[in-house]
Amino acid sequence: MTNQKPILKADDLSKRYEDGLLALDHLNLEVRPGEVYCLLGANGAGKTTTINLFLNFIPPTNGTCFINGIDVTKDPLEAKKFVGFVSENVMLYGNFTARQNLDFFAKLGGKTNLTREAYYQVMRRVSLQENAFEQRVKTFSKGMRQKLGISIAIIKDAPAILLDEPTSGLDPKAAEEFLEILGELKSEGKAVFMSTHDIFRAKEIGDRVGIMKEGRLVLERTREELQFEDLVKIYIDYMKSEPLTA
Amino acid sequence: MTGTIARKEIAANLLSYKFFIVILLTVLLLFTSFFVLYKDFKARLADYQLIKPKPGEPVAVLPPNPLSIFAKGLDETMTRSFEVSRIGLSVRAGQKSGNALFAFFPAPDFAYIVKVVLSLVALLFGFDQISRERENGVLRLMLSNPVSRAQVLAGKWLGNFLSLAAPFTLVTLLGFALINLDPDVRFGASGIGRFLMLIVIALLYIALFLGLGILVSALTRRSASTLIVLLLVWAVIVFVMPNLGTLIARQMVDVPSVKALSEKRQQIWTREILLLQVESRAAGRRATGTRTEGDLAQKHFDAINTDQDRLEEDYRKKFDRLVRLSKAINRLSPAASFIYAATELAGTGIGEENRLKYDVVRYKDAVIGDLKREVTQHAAFTYRYRSAGQVLAEGGLFDVAELLILTIFLAALSYLAFIRYDVR
Repeated sequence: MTNQKPILKADDLSKRYEDGLLALDHLNLEVRPGEVYCLLGANGAGKTTTINLFLNFIPPTNGTCFINGIDVTKDPLEAKKFVGFVSENVMLYGNFTARQNLDFFAKLGGKTNLTREAYYQVMRRVSLQENAFEQRVKTFSKGMRQKLGISIAIIKDAPAILLDEPTSGLDPKAAEEFLEILGELKSEGKAVFMSTHDIFRAKEIGDRVGIMKEGRLVLERTREELQFEDLVKIYIDYMKSEPLTA
Repeated sequence: MTGTIARKEIAANLLSYKFFIVILLTVLLLFTSFFVLYKDFKARLADYQLIKPKPGEPVAVLPPNPLSIFAKGLDETMTRSFEVSRIGLSVRAGQKSGNALFAFFPAPDFAYIVKVVLSLVALLFGFDQISRERENGVLRLMLSNPVSRAQVLAGKWLGNFLSLAAPFTLVTLLGFALINLDPDVRFGASGIGRFLMLIVIALLYIALFLGLGILVSALTRRSASTLIVLLLVWAVIVFVMPNLGTLIARQMVDVPSVKALSEKRQQIWTREILLLQVESRAAGRRATGTRTEGDLAQKHFDAINTDQDRLEEDYRKKFDRLVRLSKAINRLSPAASFIYAATELAGTGIGEENRLKYDVVRYKDAVIGDLKREVTQHAAFTYRYRSAGQVLAEGGLFDVAELLILTIFLAALSYLAFIRYDVR
């Protein structure tokens, strides 16, 4: 895994917003194929900013994001061909059915001419109930919408997937199912980058775990290193420690 | 990619409750308008059959214009009857709408519905395109794909425009076809051409307001704010600006009122009649006078005619200046430009009415010439409406160009706003 070229790479990445807030401070990280990277941190630590920078929603103040070796700022459309995205609260077109939503976003992702069965297969894979395939999404629970969100990322068949707190607000069973899907994607060789508050699941699924505080990546551990450390304690200690800017 | 987004927008609209209500309302309004104005046209046509001059009568009167069913404009003013006598013109009521409520409320014609209702409907289609999708996070998901913001914007604009334009055009054409079944309503090839151009201009106007809706949506963060801002802008464009322009122009150009003009006319009449009486008595006392009573009367009728013509000429010059200035100010509002273009194309605009007035005056001069030569059978008054090409050349193109340029300008501004839009 370590010999492969990273699919996602943040190189000395910084972001200072117009109001002066330094949201991201010289971040360096890499996610390789078949690797799950979990980024932990309190609210406002810079996790979502990192994802927004990877998706070119905001320009970096300094540094570069690469997706599959492509500079996101220089060629965002080309870079976005290689990444899927699942947000914290997947909100789709409520009047469309699950299949219609999937069809639309698949086409946006460049997958045209997919059959109805192809959409059904992806939805079956994420364990969405069969009777929900042709149901309007406005009737879906959050768990169902998150499953549909990951279906959208899967159907794009991109080598990298960015997830912004995808299990937030899900019941334990739904969250567990969601992580199972991530495990499958990992085994298929996808590079998965997930921001989360969930320390336990980060430890369970993450090949690498980073902790962010005030825009800085203050700690990074591999799965192997975490076998001998208490991630919960480390995380809480960091959160309790003095502000970095003090 | 633009096509994919446009198709999605159309499908989303077809499935939405908002679309169903809005289109139902539009269809009802258009058909009601066609029915009411068609009936009004038929009543005015019946009036015309009663008042139309017999051969040789010195009366200038036009039949109602069939295109007034769609853009009534000044058709009632244009179809008044103008009677010519030795002392000039007297204006009769002509064919007035049977519906007295038109005096209180503007004629709910096609042009009015497009100007007021369709502009609002277009804003309702555009207002939530960016800000609402940012609020619910769909915009982030959409832009996480290899699709440019220009494509997203173009797709949204196209999809919503087609969603609105298709039912609107179909209903309008259907209404036109139904009215066309009546043999009394003769549009002719020129009328059909003008009507199709009217639809094109209406679509341009709708496109403009849709663009405005999307622009404000791309400038605001919340859809509720977008809606409030747009309602305010809509009220200003559609109601405030056109009325304000006319009021401002009125302050800048001093035009006597119709009442004052009528008073002046009466004064000229009274003065000349009194003089005629005095001179007639004096001529009678002299007994050997060189002038006959007829000559004296003719002299004073000529004086009335000349003075009234001068008065009319002066009034028309001032009125033309007022109209030009009002138009220039009102054109700041696309609603005014649309109404100018629509009514001129229909042949019920202020330019056409002005042209008709000059033709009526020429007709009057010809009839008075006849009367002096003791000719009793007069040529019938004829009036040729301007061709669509003439209408466009004489200001119509300016209004259409303004709508087109504004639509493009708003689309460009929407793009600039959207590429800077924070989708988070």
